[in-house]
Amino acid sequence: MSRRLVIPSVIVFVLATGFILFLSPHNVRRVQAGFLGLISPMLKGGSGMEKRYRDYREGLKNLEQLEEENKRLLVANKELSATNQTLRGLEAENNRLHKALEYRERALFKLTPARIIARDASTWYSKIVIDRGTSDGLKEDGDQAVLTEEGLVGKTTVVSEHSAEVVLISDEACRVAANVEGTREQGIVKGERASSGTSPSIGLNFLSKQANLKSGANIYTSGVGGVFPSGVLIGQVKEFKMRELDGHASIVPAVDLTTLEDVFVVVGDSK
Amino acid sequence: MIFFFLLLAAMFVALVAQHFIPPLPIVNARVLLMPVIMFYGALALPTPGMLVLAFCGGLMWDALHGQMIEGNVEIALGWSIVLYATLGALMGGFRPLFQRGRWEIHCLLSGVCTSMIVLAEYLMLTFRREPVVFVFNKDVWWRIGGAGLVAALLSPLFFFTLNYLAFLVGYDAQPDRNVKRPR
Repeated sequence: MSRRLVIPSVIVFVLATGFILFLSPHNVRRVQAGFLGLISPMLKGGSGMEKRYRDYREGLKNLEQLEEENKRLLVANKELSATNQTLRGLEAENNRLHKALEYRERALFKLTPARIIARDASTWYSKIVIDRGTSDGLKEDGDQAVLTEEGLVGKTTVVSEHSAEVVLISDEACRVAANVEGTREQGIVKGERASSGTSPSIGLNFLSKQANLKSGANIYTSGVGGVFPSGVLIGQVKEFKMRELDGHASIVPAVDLTTLEDVFVVVGDSK
Repeated sequence: MIFFFLLLAAMFVALVAQHFIPPLPIVNARVLLMPVIMFYGALALPTPGMLVLAFCGGLMWDALHGQMIEGNVEIALGWSIVLYATLGALMGGFRPLFQRGRWEIHCLLSGVCTSMIVLAEYLMLTFRREPVVFVFNKDVWWRIGGAGLVAALLSPLFFFTLNYLAFLVGYDAQPDRNVKRPR
């Protein structure tokens, strides 16, 4: 039975795969946005569970620390200490949100806050998924800057109704026009291949060979290209080296891309 | 048929679950669950079933992981289908051995083929992106080999779980396990 089916199934497989392979970029985006929309409720649910588990574990860790402290200080009231610890956690969260809200209010751009619901599971890409989509004012064809109060994060690519993919500045495919504070030097920031791990490395390319940048110099977006607004901090120079044709600077990102939880999407000017 | 749909559902769940597993510390290799299930299907199902599984798996993978940059598709949607079907066909060659009850076939091949997927992704990206420079340092090799190693270590768990599921729905993935080989 199945032997008779092999040849027809191979023919159908080749035709269907050929059809998929030759889809136009517009249709590919629609397929990707549709699939992202399909799985985003699961990603949101999973992200919520992950956060609860992490909070629970952190809570346990704090309790252990408190117990040690209690033993050392011979304080009897463990319950009260635990309550205080919980309140400290809430205060820290409140401070973080307050800081984010202040940034949103003073920013020159119109920002939409978003929460990260997943990180890409592929080996070579640096992407995250956020819980905002076209229904929250994001553009369907992407290319909107994503940042935090600390600096630049990346830009949107595939956008579904309630979620969107963001390619991080540590990905080689995300290129940002940048300039160096206090100099006339301009270049292109991009991630390095195979740098999507726990310590992403990014570099500023096409600098002049005479640039001789000092370690710690700030790198800002120049606004060239129209995707990223100008003046957003990207990171600090770690090391400058001359290459055959240009100068290259290794950069420490201003934002810790590995522990990021909340971001803002630039959806327009504030005026 | 029921087992086929169970495998398909398991692949979908694995694809979503992968997002919540961080990369391995130090080596930065990803834990890829979906290919392990796909490769079990390649050994347990006849060729038409394997092809449908490869088609659905590859399409889901590309739909979720494919990169769109400035309105252009970096690697064509559907290339993973071709890759999965090729590796599935390769594994299909070992199917008679698998059907005789050799579970370690799935374990070994899952590891090798998962590494091949990661390597193929890297080569595709390198060819696609400028400049075409092959960087094969220790970090890159660890990511490729580490993903395969993790897949090989996890595959017995998947093998026994999926075999049990097959038993529950009345599908025998290894019908010749008790057949004595003629001397």
